[in-house]
Amino acid sequence: MSQHSVTRYPVSLQINGERYDVDVAPDTSLLDVLRDEFGLTGTKANCLEAECGVCTVLLDGKAVNACITLALQCQGRQILTIEGLAHGGELHPLQTAFIECGAVQCGYCIPGMILTAKSLLDTQPDPDEAAIREGLAGTLCRCTGYQKIVDAVAHAARQMNQQQSQIKTTTTGDRQ
Amino acid sequence: MSANYRIVGKSHPRFDAVGKVTGKAIYGTDFALPGMLHGKLCRSSQANARIKALHVDAARRMPGVRAIVTAADVPCERYGSFIKDMEVFAAERVRYIGQPIAGVVARSAAEAEAAAAAIVVEYEALPAVFDPEAALAPDAPRVHEDLLQYKAMPTVRREGNISNRARLIYGDVEAGFARSDRIFTHRYSTCMVHPGYTEPRAAVATWDSDGRYTVWSNTQLPFEAQNTLADILMVPASQVRVICTVIGGGFGGKLRLGVEHYVAVMAKACGRPVKMVTSTEEEMTTAYPRQPVIVELKTGVSADGRILAKQGRIIVDTGATSGSGVGVGSSSALILAGPYRIPNLLIEGLAVYTNKTPTGSFRAPSGPQANFAVEAQMDAIAEAIGLDPLEFRLRNILRDGDVAPNGQQLGKVSLEECLRKAADAIGWADRKPGPWRGKGIACSWWTTTSGSSGVYVKVDPDGKVVMNTGCAEIGTGALTGAAMVLAEDLGVAVDDISIVSADSTATPFDYGAQGSRTAFAVGNACRAAVVILRQQALAAAAKRLDVAEDKLTLADGKVSGEGKSLSLADIARGLQLSGGGLIAHGTFIAPPTMYDAKRSENMVITTLNSPSFHAHAAEVSVDPQTGEVRIEDYVVAQDVGFAINPIYVEGQIEGGVMQGLGQALSEEIVYRDGRVLNANLTDYKMPTAVDAPRIRSILVECPSESGPFGAKGVGEPPVIEPPATIANAVAAACGCRIADLPITAEKVATALQASPRA
Repeated sequence: MSQHSVTRYPVSLQINGERYDVDVAPDTSLLDVLRDEFGLTGTKANCLEAECGVCTVLLDGKAVNACITLALQCQGRQILTIEGLAHGGELHPLQTAFIECGAVQCGYCIPGMILTAKSLLDTQPDPDEAAIREGLAGTLCRCTGYQKIVDAVAHAARQMNQQQSQIKTTTTGDRQ
Repeated sequence: MSANYRIVGKSHPRFDAVGKVTGKAIYGTDFALPGMLHGKLCRSSQANARIKALHVDAARRMPGVRAIVTAADVPCERYGSFIKDMEVFAAERVRYIGQPIAGVVARSAAEAEAAAAAIVVEYEALPAVFDPEAALAPDAPRVHEDLLQYKAMPTVRREGNISNRARLIYGDVEAGFARSDRIFTHRYSTCMVHPGYTEPRAAVATWDSDGRYTVWSNTQLPFEAQNTLADILMVPASQVRVICTVIGGGFGGKLRLGVEHYVAVMAKACGRPVKMVTSTEEEMTTAYPRQPVIVELKTGVSADGRILAKQGRIIVDTGATSGSGVGVGSSSALILAGPYRIPNLLIEGLAVYTNKTPTGSFRAPSGPQANFAVEAQMDAIAEAIGLDPLEFRLRNILRDGDVAPNGQQLGKVSLEECLRKAADAIGWADRKPGPWRGKGIACSWWTTTSGSSGVYVKVDPDGKVVMNTGCAEIGTGALTGAAMVLAEDLGVAVDDISIVSADSTATPFDYGAQGSRTAFAVGNACRAAVVILRQQALAAAAKRLDVAEDKLTLADGKVSGEGKSLSLADIARGLQLSGGGLIAHGTFIAPPTMYDAKRSENMVITTLNSPSFHAHAAEVSVDPQTGEVRIEDYVVAQDVGFAINPIYVEGQIEGGVMQGLGQALSEEIVYRDGRVLNANLTDYKMPTAVDAPRIRSILVECPSESGPFGAKGVGEPPVIEPPATIANAVAAACGCRIADLPITAEKVATALQASPRA
């Protein structure tokens, strides 16, 4: 965190659908605000220079490294952290898939990995293995060798696509 | 094999998964206390120097600073595992760049860091030594002049810059060489690699006015941390409590104190909770990386491909302190002997000081380095005598009932099965499937580390079960495996069990999450607890049901017999009122492994317990222009004894192989003149999802006599063979035998320029 003599500026963030107001120094990162100001420690800290990817969050739906994103860049923008992914106690299909596929070991990269995967699947709902690996390449995992993580993302993609097609079928059915 | 079991042998989700995927798990870096301050270290800029003066006044006046600590604040002079050669803060002399000299406590980590940078150290530079072979010269600069005065384990043999000289010796190697038709000498070297856990080392400490310290940390070993802290702080161990947070990976890099001792000293100095987290730069320059080694091997073989004698020397570069290098020098002799029948053997393991960062016990310490040398040489010899590398191995491997090189009597040996399964899966018959493509194979053996384990198992009045273990869950899933063993024996569901772990005051002693032992040893302690719980439950049920104990059985969460039954919940409720509850302390210690003591001199690791055997095979392609190696296929056949939780056994194999492939192809902490040149995660190249090949795991199950349901240690072996496997595959693909890790594109391209061949 920054030193006490530095001028602070107000910023308003939309984190997991809720508004958070805070005064920050110009050099305060989004990561520090999430973890130190708001106690949202699900976003992990490691290299602090965008090399390891464990701090990945979604900023307006796009995966960013919170460690090199300034808090003041996020004025009024939508931030999704791992704490906001499960709805009403129900896990997101990616979270369920990571558990079922054995993709979680120490787990420290997992919040960043899951949010990276979400941003991938939001733009590419049916990626092949190469696309999944490319999409996840910015986040390091040292435990799993990535194999079960890749499998989990593929599994979640299938689940989500099935849900989508069921919703479509249901909607169509309602109209008839 | 698992057909008769309800739970073990079938994949089950890990118990801590939900907290990890929702971000609720509290890791060491997340842990915080009210009023907490932050610590940072002032580190040496010199590789070898006398400290002439230390100026901290300017730093003390910096904004937010609350305390500065130095060697004067640390009660003990030196500490260490085999040799007490470590200082908390350098007092008079620094021995590597990055050695801590002072610590700053401030309101924020940034303020502490700024103040640490304002500390001025005046040095008198001394000649330093960075090359372990140069360190062996009689006139080399001494890293520790007073080495012989340090306290040490009695088995350690010190001399000059050598912290230990271990030997594994039997037969007569000269006679063996005299009988040999061909004699081969080779030299191999490996470099320093980092465990690469994604969570840096972190701890928070408090000190109370009654003299008690409490430390929350991501250490792998809460009890060792407790005892080492007590040594350093010179207080009884009962005044130090170490509680593990959730741990973001360890791989052996979090076995020894990382920041715990600093925050403990700081917490006492300022009377407030203090937190410290290592930076990536500190991790890459001053953590406990894997030792670089230099291996020389001389092997004599008969014309028909039998090994007749082997002589070798491994120089283990331990850096400025010996750390676990004394053990690595010993265990490497067992790996250098290899899983082979060798009638005459002499292996010497030297642990040598240099002015570089202290090294540690990264997953399978000595395994990948020594195996790279043994297995690369096996292939070089096979080629020279015109034998298929698989066939050459099969003529020499250890088999059922053999006496291993250390004199250890082996039972069933699954090595041929592992080799054949890996070879079949990779398609060994077609070893060179195309230009610039080739296949390689390598094999090894490894230990299941012993040491004792204890668990308290408690059945709650609702029939749910608490498993209380002193062992930490470092991410492997091994405690889920132990819980599955408990569930199987107790007749409950895995999801009925919750786990409390790794608190040096509140949980029973455990030797800890190290050496592939957790599921093995904690699982066995759980089995012992169930024996006691069953006695308690049957005795209580016998009274209440009025049925003789020997007519009662415990299954499916209840005790039944003669048409009557009582649930575990009922029994636990009754015993809470009358007998202190349904609770047991189960303990386990692995039976000692017998070996021939005459064969080992100054070896601090002498046996491989419940040994596992394994073989890896890979197909690679080499780009003839760039020298880049691409892994096309990778197969592991590993004897796991019995796979308690197959999905997490595979997970260990896949992750371990990837770490080994990093060491094989891309990872190196690069030193120049004692300074690390690549202290960041861009220039230190760990494999990403794009670099990682798909691993095919073949689980061989040759049960151990002492493991739960036959299980053996699983976690370390997968990291051992990848460097040798890749080196051998590269040689098959392009004819170049790279004898120095990592096998970078640059090295392959340079070798190809010297002798191009497809």
